[in-house]
Amino acid sequence: MRTGFPQRKAEVWLRQSDAENAIYDPGTDEVHLLNMTAVAIWTLCDGSTAPEEMILAVMDLSGLPRDVVQEDVLRILGDFEHAGIVTWRE
Amino acid sequence: MTEDRRVRVLLADGQALFREAVRIVLMSQDEFDVVAEADDAAHALSEAERSQPDVALVDSDLPGGDGIRVTSQVAERVPSCRVIVLSGQDDEQVMLAALEAGAVGYLSKQAPLAELMEATRAVSRGDVLVPPRMLGTVLKRLIHRRREHDEALRKLGTLTRREREILGLLANGAGSDEIARRLVISPETSRTHIQNLLGKLQVHSRLEAVAFVTANDVLGELVGVEG
Repeated sequence: MRTGFPQRKAEVWLRQSDAENAIYDPGTDEVHLLNMTAVAIWTLCDGSTAPEEMILAVMDLSGLPRDVVQEDVLRILGDFEHAGIVTWRE
Repeated sequence: MTEDRRVRVLLADGQALFREAVRIVLMSQDEFDVVAEADDAAHALSEAERSQPDVALVDSDLPGGDGIRVTSQVAERVPSCRVIVLSGQDDEQVMLAALEAGAVGYLSKQAPLAELMEATRAVSRGDVLVPPRMLGTVLKRLIHRRREHDEALRKLGTLTRREREILGLLANGAGSDEIARRLVISPETSRTHIQNLLGKLQVHSRLEAVAFVTANDVLGELVGVEG
């Protein structure tokens, strides 16, 4: 698992509505649509929350096994990094 | 669907009209059986214990008490019952209190009855139901609680075995003299140990030390504790 703490890029903003959740990056003029789980993980990307903490919290809430939760959380974080909307603080 | 496979539901709400509407909707489906109703907190708990429902729909503002407290009591006394707390409005604090009390679901009473039915179905299957837009808040709270628990364990780790014994006795209501008798030490030594452990826990009184144990749920970590 990658070390460090994912940090939302400050200039990126989230728009939430009943219909959809979208992240807009003015730097690239790109819009990324997120499901509610990804939005929740996004809110945890504050630069001081480790992926392990996110995984444990989702496990606590959902009761799902670790391998399922870890795969989902890490995939979401990887998607955020690939989209350039989070950076990693060591 | 056979009776023994139906989801048994308790309705706990002070408003008779609301209970009737929910009962009619649930009973219209073969999969549900409303086995009990209650219009106040005391009645809700006694009905939960009597009827042993699979799911309890509990209003957060139950008359005669507190729906959150009832949730905690039901979670303790009827552990097989999964509680959904219903609230008159979306309130993050109520939702967090409900989940911490042992509820597995939270739903606004503004939601359509069809959504309530689906929520009942979902929690009976073992799902946890949190309003999607509150999910981040809930996860943050869980992370915060885990960090606090880890910090509490770290502080406990700085105590000697004797200090842990004494903290356990304090948490069970023992005073200095009783602690001294039980551990076959002098009262002065008992008080010295207590002062030392208060310092290590960074609290200022025995009451705070007991509160530390309770709030962080670490009684089981203490030596020689009798439940």
